[in-house]
Formats: sequence, structure tokens, C-alpha cells
Amino acid sequence: MTVADESDETLMMRYGRGDAAAFDLLYRRHEMRVWRYLKRNVGNRATADELMQEVWFAVARDALRYEPSARFTTWLFTIAHNRMIDSVRTSRRQTSLETLGYEAESVVEQLTSDPSAGPLAAAVARDQAGALARAFEKLPGEQREAFLLQVEGDLSVEEIAAITDSSFETTKSRLRYARMKLRELLKEYA
Amino acid sequence: MNEVPPGRDESDDVDDLYRRASALDESRPSELVRRRVLDHAAQLAAERAAKNVPPRIASARGANRTWRRRRPAIFGTLAAAALAGLLITPRFFTPSVPPGAPPSAPPMAALPTMTAAPPAADSRNQEAPAPAAAEQRANRIAGPAAEFAAKDSPAKMQNMAAARSKTAASAGMQAEARRDQDVASTATSQAGALAQPMASLAAAGRSSDPAAELRRAAEIGDLPEMQTLLDKQPLIEARDENGRTALMLAALHGQSQAVDVLLAHGADPNAADGHGTTPLQAAVAGNQQAIAAALRRAGAR
Repeated sequence: MTVADESDETLMMRYGRGDAAAFDLLYRRHEMRVWRYLKRNVGNRATADELMQEVWFAVARDALRYEPSARFTTWLFTIAHNRMIDSVRTSRRQTSLETLGYEAESVVEQLTSDPSAGPLAAAVARDQAGALARAFEKLPGEQREAFLLQVEGDLSVEEIAAITDSSFETTKSRLRYARMKLRELLKEYA
Repeated sequence: MNEVPPGRDESDDVDDLYRRASALDESRPSELVRRRVLDHAAQLAAERAAKNVPPRIASARGANRTWRRRRPAIFGTLAAAALAGLLITPRFFTPSVPPGAPPSAPPMAALPTMTAAPPAADSRNQEAPAPAAAEQRANRIAGPAAEFAAKDSPAKMQNMAAARSKTAASAGMQAEARRDQDVASTATSQAGALAQPMASLAAAGRSSDPAAELRRAAEIGDLPEMQTLLDKQPLIEARDENGRTALMLAALHGQSQAVDVLLAHGADPNAADGHGTTPLQAAVAGNQQAIAAALRRAGAR
């Protein structure tokens, strides 16, 4: 088995013992998932960048405290969730996740920049990504976060419920409604 | 509404659509954030690795501390040895056989107090074996002394030489004294030889490291800088504190052109880092297909 096949948990243990390359591999494996989770929740590239750095700094710093009995992704997205909540709480706007919407920077613009693609492909990509971004804007924050934790973090309902401090049934409902709304908003692409 | 569980079949189409759209999403975290995160992680890893020092390195550090602690004693011993040498040296230049004396006076080195050889009846026969016996004794002394010095500190070595010098002076055993002085001076020169690389290492720590600059340039894909550094001297296989070559760092950081440059300059495509990870494994783990292909073409396994 090569190092590329090693589990997240093994890589995390290796990093805890001082193997910087293990962290590099872990970061590259989960970079985009964490990035999409943060950016689609906060809707602002600068804030997402800031949170991204805070999350991975925390992962690196707390590596020695990481318990291999817990899945690495659960631990990682718990950190991401907590950082995001802290960020919302300390922001001047004092917004809650329910009311947190996309702001300033055009999300559609952010989602659709592929200079290597042809004009048609670029148009389709822009269309789909734009529709997705608009759909996310219309989702309540709690539903959006539950959905992103599941699709990006690959977390179970139980894990999402624990992270968001919600009941199992409430989490199931949020996921169900999030998908219903997204399906409705994206039906022309489904 | 809570009684309806989210069916996997119902969610598949939405999730698939989400993933398709995400695959088209070119949005990325900024390169600055990535750099900060990886640098911070590498710094913490280096600190942790330094804390988990293997016993062999720890004992080397202990020896270093011991050397510092014994330094005053070593210099004192060296001074004593030099003084003893000054006292003995004139004896080498004094004619051992006064004019008119019998030419076959047995050398002091052959006295029965130091050897088990019986006194010879014919003093002429003593001339040839006497220096040989002294030489053998000198060897017997120098052998353990050198061994002692090799596995212990120069201080003990010098102590032994000084003690032997005093004994030799009192007994008049010039050959032994001479030999011991040679051993002492060897120890002194060994100490000097040790100090020289240490000074070089300290100087190297202060100066800029072209190998580190090359690794850094490879990591960030600074091709002109890489070319300049590669033209200067063969640094291509130099490694950082984690055993990573410039090629490994370029592969880890997705610097495809840097990988090509390094391979064109003969970088070893199979140079694994300190944990056995090869550049190809790093490229595959990071989903860097172009880099993986280039490495395979260069013979990476």
C-alpha cells in the first residue's frame, strides 16, 4: 500500500509524529471540500479564505489531540463548523446562519471562470454554476449547512446532528427540505 | 414533517447535480492561504520531529554538553602536557652516552621494572633489542591510549599523555615520552579537526542555502530562479529537514513546469522523502495527472 492509499486517520497520526508530507497529502485531499463548504455557507471569498486558514491552522495545531477513533472528516468539519459559527457571531452584522446570505462579490462570477473551456462549455458551466449559486442563496442557512456537511463532508445524519447541536429528526428534516428546495430550483438542470 | 426520512433515491439527482456543478466550479482558495497553511504545518511538524529526537541524536547532544562541561579541564590538561613536554624535550638533545663511557650502557627503557626481559649478560646485545622493546612498550601505551581517546574525550587522552610524560621523565624513558607526546599532539590536532567542521557548520547556518532556495523556487514554480540556481551548482538532490528534494516539493505543490525542469536537469524521480513517500505517490495523491505522467516517463515507480 502506498502512502497515497493511506487513510486520513493514518496520515493524521503520521503528521502528529512530525511528518509534514502527510499533512500535505491530507490538505490536498480535503482542500476543495472544506473550501466549498465554507464559501457556500458564508458566500464571501475573503471570509472563506480567512476561515480556511483558521480551520487548517487548527488542524495542524491540534494534531496531537486528534483521536483516531473519530473519523478525520468528522473532526475536520466540526472544526470548520465551529470556526464559521464563531465568525458569524463576531461579525459586525451579527447575522445568524439563517439570515446569512451571499454578499458583495458575485457568487455566479466566482463559480464560473474556466478560461480553458470552449465558449459553449463555458456558457453551460456558467449557467449551471450560476443556477446552483442562486439556489443556495435561497436556502435557509441551517438547511444549507446540513446539506453541505453531508455532500462535502460525507457525514451521516447522526454526525451532522452532533456537529450542529440539533436532534436527529430535525437534521433529517433540514436535509430533506434542502434537497426538495434545491430540486425545485434546479429542475431544469436535473 | 419529521417522520419522513431523506430517501437516498430522492437525493441522488440533487446530489449528482450539485457534484456536477461543483466539478465545473473553478473557485479555489487563494494561493497565499494555501502557502501559509502548508508552511505553518511544516513548521509545527519540524518542531514535533525535533521533540521526538531519536536516542542516537540525543546521546550526541549529550556528548556535546559533556564536551562543553569538560572544556576547562581539557585546556588545563593540555597546558600540563605542554609543560611536561618542555621539561622532557631537553633530554632528547642531551648526549645519553658521555664521551669515554662504555658504549653499551643499557637504556633505561629496558630496565626490568618495566619489562619482564632478564638482564642480558652482554651489554652489546642490548643495543639492538632495546629500542625495539621501547617501541613495543610505546605501542602498548599508544594503542590503548588511542582507543581510549577514540571512544572518550580528548581530555582523558591528554591526562593520560601528561601522566605518561611525567612517568617517562622520572624513569628516563625518552622513547615512551616521545611517543606519548606524539599521541598528545595527535589528540590536540583531532580536537582542532573537530572544531573546524563545527565552525563550518555554524557558518553554513548563517549563510544563505542555495539548495533551500532551489527547493523553495521549485515549490512555488519560480522557473527563472530555478534555472539560475541549477546553472550554478549541483543542488538538485539536496533535501530539506523532512528529506524532501526540490522535485518532491514541486510534485507536492502541483508545479508541473518545475517538475519538468528538474527532471530535465536529471533529478532522481524516485527520491523518496524521509517517510518513504515518492514524488509519484505525492502527485497521485494530489491528483496531479500531468506531473504523475511526467514522472512515470522519467522512470518513476
